[in-house]
Amino acid sequence: MARNRAKMTFLENNTSRKATFRKRKEGLMKKASELSILCGVAVAVIIEGEYSSVPEVFPREDVGSVIDKWDKLSQADKDKKMVNHEKYLKQRIEKAKEKLNKVNKENREMEMKELMFDCLRNKTAPCFLGPNELRDLGVFIDQYIKILSRRIETLTNNQGSSSTSVVPAAAGTTSVAMPTAAMGSSSTGFNNMIEENMNEIPNVKDFDLNRCSEE
Amino acid sequence: MEENMERNMERNMKRKSRGRQKIEMVKMKNESNLQVTFSKRRSGLFKKASELNTLCGADIAIIVFSPGGKVYSFGHPNVDTMVNRFKNINQPFPNPNNNMRLSEVQPHTFNLQMNDVLTQVMNDTEIAKKKSEEIRKKRKNSKRPENWWENPVEEFDLAQTQEIFVKVENLKKVVADEASKNFQVFPHPNFCVGSSSGALFRDGGYINPNLDQYEQRRMFNVNAYYNQNMYPPIYQLPYGNNSYAGGYVPDQYNLNFMHAFNQYQNQNQNLGFKDEGIPENERHQDGHPPHF
Repeated sequence: MARNRAKMTFLENNTSRKATFRKRKEGLMKKASELSILCGVAVAVIIEGEYSSVPEVFPREDVGSVIDKWDKLSQADKDKKMVNHEKYLKQRIEKAKEKLNKVNKENREMEMKELMFDCLRNKTAPCFLGPNELRDLGVFIDQYIKILSRRIETLTNNQGSSSTSVVPAAAGTTSVAMPTAAMGSSSTGFNNMIEENMNEIPNVKDFDLNRCSEE
Repeated sequence: MEENMERNMERNMKRKSRGRQKIEMVKMKNESNLQVTFSKRRSGLFKKASELNTLCGADIAIIVFSPGGKVYSFGHPNVDTMVNRFKNINQPFPNPNNNMRLSEVQPHTFNLQMNDVLTQVMNDTEIAKKKSEEIRKKRKNSKRPENWWENPVEEFDLAQTQEIFVKVENLKKVVADEASKNFQVFPHPNFCVGSSSGALFRDGGYINPNLDQYEQRRMFNVNAYYNQNMYPPIYQLPYGNNSYAGGYVPDQYNLNFMHAFNQYQNQNQNLGFKDEGIPENERHQDGHPPHF
């Protein structure tokens, strides 16, 4: 995947540009044809290259009928799903960014989960963390607490059934796929806690290492 | 040897998608497959058109009618112009304007810029995916889980859940405490922070009473990043073997008390998370000796 995206830029070299144009134009026409046949739909392609004063079209003989079909549409219908190049690229960029955000978010959540576990295992402690870690860790902990609460609720409601019954968590089957906690949605959210702390700075609560260390 | 053959057979039978298999060039029979195919191939066709224009400067228009009767179109410069040009070709007298573009093969600037951005985003996604793989592999390979509470929550019974709940709540308080210390800085306006061990910012950055710079350092908007063509630094934390190469803050994670971050306003691209690189002895001292 993505083996080709390397250099999407105008080809200055005349020879390579000409060759590339020929090959890609042919490929594009082929793809247009396949789309038309496989899905049984009308497709028209018009290409004006620098090497010919006459545009190349698909379908070779009958592009006119598709253009006629197009002409019959209202301008509104034409515009609805019309894109020019700029708009098209904008859309692609948006989608790509969303995907990137999603992957990064998942990565961060996995990291924060490990970090939380490390704290619980006493491999590290919050005093060694920078502000970004603290913030993201806090958010993750909030999410995790929510899941724990939900689990407790489900189990206490199911009191009477076997204690080892596996109740699927509302979030999904993996523990990494956690619901995103909306900011400030929990009453004792991380945000609120910090604000409280800002007003009166308490002593560091007893983080009982001994208690956590054995399980 | 036989094992391998078996595994190959299994893999072939498990094949989820038909990619890279030859398909018959006839109209598809399955309605929903047809819809999906239409969607994907139409998208791919537009992509090819975009690339053809970017690489070779050709003008191009594509019109596609969907199975449902809707119309999709892509055009450079735009569909209507191209269609009109095409129609005018059939005029009895040749239209001089049709040849105008022969000298105009240069691409537009937006094209190159946006393609650059797109390529960057896709490369970054590749990197992020690889990182995903690493994280998952690492977790698999370590001899964990060492503790019962590292397992999925669904496997806990009531007592366990309550127990871990308390622990995590306590941890949360400690984290909040620690985080609030970072906000203790409302200094006198004349106060300049040097690079002493008490410094919050290693480079002795000026601390604005409005916490402006701090806000800028803490916020990391991906959109701003792509606008300014900057990369977030990837760094290692100094403790243990774990590397939390943080720095990326998804929008939801923005604990942004002074909100309304304007992505176009991000002048200070020195989003250096340098504080993360502070060695232990220079960190904010809270009076506790470091311990593991």
